[in-house]
Amino acid sequence: MASELQRVPAEVEYAEELAELRKSDDRQRPPNWHLSPWAVAEYLLGGRLPNGYVISPKYIGSRRLIEIAISTLATDRALLLFGVPGTAKSWVSEHLAAAISGDSTRIVQGTAGTPEEAIRYGWNYAKLLAEGPTWSAVVPSPVMRAMQGGHIARVEEMTRIPSDVQDSLITVLSERALPVPELAGEVRAVRGFNIIATANNRDRGVNELSSALKRRFNTVVLPVPGTLDEEVDIVRRRVVEMGRSLELPVEEPAMEEVRRLVTLFRELRSGLTEDGRTKLKTPTGTLSTAEAISVVNSGLALAAHFGDGRLTAADMAAGLTGAVVKDPVQDGVAWREYLETVVKERDDWRDLYRACREFAG
Amino acid sequence: MPVQVFGIRHHGPGSARSLLTAFEQMRPDVVLVEGPVEGTGQIHWLGEAQIEPPVALLVYRPDVPLESSFYPFAGFSPEWNALRWAVRNGVEARFIDLPKSNWMALPREAFEEDVEEDPLRKMAQLAGYRDFEPWWDRLVEERGEVSVFAAVYEAMVALRAGRPLGALEKLREAAMRQQIRAAMKEGFTRIAVVCGAWHSPALVTMPPMKEDVTVLKGLPKVKVEVSWVPWTHGRLQKVSGYGAGIESPGWYAHLWAAPEEPAIPWVAKVAHLLRGEDLDASPAQVVETVRLAETLASLRGRRLTGLAELNDAVETVLLFGDRTPLKLIEQKLIVGETLGTVPPEVSTVPLQRDLEAQQKRLRIKPEAAFRMLNLDLRKELDRGRSQLLHRMQLLNVNWGWPLQVGGKLGTFHEAWELEWKPELSIEIITAARWGNTVETAAAERARVAAMEATQLPQVTALLEPVLKAGLPDAAPAVLLRLRDVAALAPDVVELLKAVPPMVRITRYGDVRQTDRELVGQVAAELIARACVGLPVACGSLDDDAARAMKNAVADMHEAILVLNDEGLRAFWQEALERVAGLPDIHGLVLGGACRLLYDMGAMDGEALTRKATQALSPGTPALDGAAWLEGFLERSGGVLLVNTALWDLVDGWVSELRPESFEELLPLLRRTFATFAKGERRQLGERARAGKAAANEATEWHVDTGRAAQVLPLLRAIYG
Repeated sequence: MASELQRVPAEVEYAEELAELRKSDDRQRPPNWHLSPWAVAEYLLGGRLPNGYVISPKYIGSRRLIEIAISTLATDRALLLFGVPGTAKSWVSEHLAAAISGDSTRIVQGTAGTPEEAIRYGWNYAKLLAEGPTWSAVVPSPVMRAMQGGHIARVEEMTRIPSDVQDSLITVLSERALPVPELAGEVRAVRGFNIIATANNRDRGVNELSSALKRRFNTVVLPVPGTLDEEVDIVRRRVVEMGRSLELPVEEPAMEEVRRLVTLFRELRSGLTEDGRTKLKTPTGTLSTAEAISVVNSGLALAAHFGDGRLTAADMAAGLTGAVVKDPVQDGVAWREYLETVVKERDDWRDLYRACREFAG
Repeated sequence: MPVQVFGIRHHGPGSARSLLTAFEQMRPDVVLVEGPVEGTGQIHWLGEAQIEPPVALLVYRPDVPLESSFYPFAGFSPEWNALRWAVRNGVEARFIDLPKSNWMALPREAFEEDVEEDPLRKMAQLAGYRDFEPWWDRLVEERGEVSVFAAVYEAMVALRAGRPLGALEKLREAAMRQQIRAAMKEGFTRIAVVCGAWHSPALVTMPPMKEDVTVLKGLPKVKVEVSWVPWTHGRLQKVSGYGAGIESPGWYAHLWAAPEEPAIPWVAKVAHLLRGEDLDASPAQVVETVRLAETLASLRGRRLTGLAELNDAVETVLLFGDRTPLKLIEQKLIVGETLGTVPPEVSTVPLQRDLEAQQKRLRIKPEAAFRMLNLDLRKELDRGRSQLLHRMQLLNVNWGWPLQVGGKLGTFHEAWELEWKPELSIEIITAARWGNTVETAAAERARVAAMEATQLPQVTALLEPVLKAGLPDAAPAVLLRLRDVAALAPDVVELLKAVPPMVRITRYGDVRQTDRELVGQVAAELIARACVGLPVACGSLDDDAARAMKNAVADMHEAILVLNDEGLRAFWQEALERVAGLPDIHGLVLGGACRLLYDMGAMDGEALTRKATQALSPGTPALDGAAWLEGFLERSGGVLLVNTALWDLVDGWVSELRPESFEELLPLLRRTFATFAKGERRQLGERARAGKAAANEATEWHVDTGRAAQVLPLLRAIYG
């Protein structure tokens, strides 16, 4: 039963929307696409169909980026979604795959231990021993299955995958074929096959893509939320949701406290104060929305267990310093500069200044 | 029909192309262009080979050069092409707009109501476009067909219906109609009128002539002059303050040059630019970029691939999602750095006139012969001369070069080498785009230079000339830029070096109070940043870097003493203390910091002795010890005479050096001691000869309080 599951894939959850879009979609479709590029864009960004059916928006943000992503897939180039954590990379990738191929489950999860078999193919060893190498003994990877069916395959957290394993994608992307030397054959991709990879901006340099591989991807960077209000809203919602599931006995965090924190994150992230008057050094850390959420959460936990249940600057100082200062030398300077030139000057931020200075010692 | 009106968009390459096609069909016998009547006399210059767009028609009042207007033309502007077509085909061309002599005489408030939201912009918004330009490009410019003029005309008739005209608009349209009537009367039979699309209906449907005559009757008049001046693509931009400006002159120039297939050569240009900046851009990627841009265009339902699609595709394929290099592309290609030229004999720009007036007033003639000029800044005339020369330098008109002077006269004295070369007239014409008087132009040039500078020393270097040139309006801009650049400056030495000149500035007599406050504020911010970064920056320095650091710290220290701000002083002291507490930093820096702290009274004799013991202990390499000593003692050795413990320590250290170390260190020590004043050296020598026993005796100071008191009144008078 689908409703018993914790989570169902996008094409199941939004089956009705996809069906409606398909019905009204009379534009040209690339081979093996379930919808035309226009309809895919409509599915992602939301809208109203001619028959009055309302499509809910899946991605709230720049239309331009979604258009670039879809065009990339339509030109047979692989798509790489870059962004800091919490910018909806996997979410966009899942919905694109669901809308284009009707199937978002051909997925390779990238980790430091992802083996080559996860991208190419493995063997059913019982069969291999009994029959020797035959096609029926091959265990296809999600990528190979997508090639055979003309679908989209998804590779999550690409930069976590060891470089040599990453590079096995080069043949797949340039030749559109996967050789199987044991059987003196190969699997050739059916039209409509493509890859959407996601990677973390800040993982750059860990297992950075080789330039051969990089050149085969078009890169779309998903940005952090555009406005302060938008981001405050996201943080508050997520904190409330998570607080409920963690069952912390606290008051809902004061809007003021969240706004101050998000302002601080945004300023340090962009290297500019919100009033645009003072430039700042940016710390090396990501300072993503996701981290802002976790700072508030840990502050709430502190307030709940060791305080009076009300979130104060002192509760957040530890989490905040930890989130900003990732590199003790460089970030320490940026953080201290920020404290001395910005936080200190704001009258209603005095408590935060004291709490952070106290924490830094 | 004898009169045909072509409603164009100023600087629209598509309009220009449609216009030329239409001209070839129509073969007009006179071309009338929207632009001040006074400019007609200048049109013949378009036949010269030396005139190269972008150029601007400059109209100004010779008595008040600050009152002026520019009418810019780019190579792709329809007006430029209409005029050039006329000149090349031997057809008469005229400007027909309201005479600027009337326009400039009108009181400003007479046409203030004209400043209203652009109706075309509204139309673009109705069509779902955020900006006007892409909408117009897509609808009109991309077509390049003659039939476009009829469609634009219809649209303008609809837009103008029921909308009241502004006072100035009425005058201008009446004037243009009068000019058209005049041309008809002269017997021209194929009259082409080129004007902004907005005005086209008013020039087609003519009201009775009497009405226009009444409107134009009795307008006030002033004297104006007209000239061509070189212009740049950057100054065609709206952000540069030009009302009818465009966003992307470089892109338009490209469209003009390669109309059929703009995408491929554009991406090739981008790739070339990126390769020049050491970024990868392979031909295969160029192909993919063009493909993506074309797919995007079709997804967005556009007939031709536009700049938006190309930018998106370049960012995605060539730049791997990194937007930063797009700035470079924007600056070099989309806006472009093209500078136009005009023949040298064409121009009498107001800047030139203002310069002549200044030269006369200050009695400093431009002479081709090389000569020296000594200025005493205490004299009014000489100060004026100095300001003028500094201003010319800011404008890159290198008429004079300042010489380094020292000596008794110090800050009051300036020396210049002067030489006037004929090419400088061209430089002045080039500089004319910055402003109409030497003062305003220099200020604007300094402001722009500050905005363009990205390195701290570049901005700092601007600050002093700006103040010496007496440009109080430019100073705040430079200061604010300094502040922004400083925020990102990775180098603490640069930060340290930026502060002393600022502090020096506060001491100039003619700095305004507001500037002085701003300087103080910015300096405080810079000092805070420098203090925070100082301890980290003092780690792992080699000899040269350590010397630079020590000097920068010493200069900063002096600046802080001058500023006399208790909070900053405390902050600085804390930073120095942290430096002094660092393990394993270069002796020169450590010694310097100890000395400054000692002089501030922040480190007592005992603490100092402890520091010195550490630095001069046998565990520390002798070379480091010498460096510490140099850092500590440089400039003054008096402290050795006062602090007996320190004296013993240094004395002991020198006597215990092994002979080979001593030989190695001797030049270093000599260099240190050579910086002391003669008297000090003698006293130290005497002390050394006397040995330890005599030391205590020498520390007793014999002060004749009576004689010392005699200087106090004078000191009080000096320091107020």
